[in-house]
Amino acid sequence: MIRRKNTKNKKKQSNFAKLSIFQNNKFKFKKSCPLSVKGAPIVDYKNIKLLKKYISENGKILPSRITNICQKKQRELSISIKRARNLALI
Amino acid sequence: MNLYEHTIVVKQDTSTAQIKKLTEKYSKIVETNDGNIVQTENWGLLNLSYIIKKNKKANYIHFKIKGNGKIIKELEKNESIDQNLLRYMTVKVKKFDLETNYFSKKDEIEKKENNKN
Repeated sequence: MIRRKNTKNKKKQSNFAKLSIFQNNKFKFKKSCPLSVKGAPIVDYKNIKLLKKYISENGKILPSRITNICQKKQRELSISIKRARNLALI
Repeated sequence: MNLYEHTIVVKQDTSTAQIKKLTEKYSKIVETNDGNIVQTENWGLLNLSYIIKKNKKANYIHFKIKGNGKIIKELEKNESIDQNLLRYMTVKVKKFDLETNYFSKKDEIEKKENNKN
């Protein structure tokens, strides 16, 4: 068991170690979208707790390149944030 | 038949009796137009994130309606005249989420905390 864990850690570390400025984009470490994982919360204009995570302090919608959200979910998010704004919830 | 979520924002200084009257009034409009109200939620007095017509707080009432588009036309016609309302919004949905209630949970948690204290 210990050996297996070690090998996993090594793989991750090596992935990070490869990162550099002069590198191809292919090898860049990319996080998966947090809202399209299994068991992720549903994007809804009533779910203010979730929406508040994805707006800045001034109430602007954060770009997906910062939050790592996929295009489909980002569209849903922006619509539901605008709905919540209209009802003065956010 | 379509499914709609309808929320109305009522001014802060309306009494609970008045709010009840409003909910009855609008649910009657739905029923007279061959509609069906699946669920009504009263979210209670919430803080507005920005001031609307000199109101800092507002009561929210949420309807889940099953019916034709005619109902929404009739509802919004009546609501645009109503002086007790600040905002209203309808959203067409494909499926109702009847289990999760994002606003009642908060109250329960707060109540529990108060009880502990």
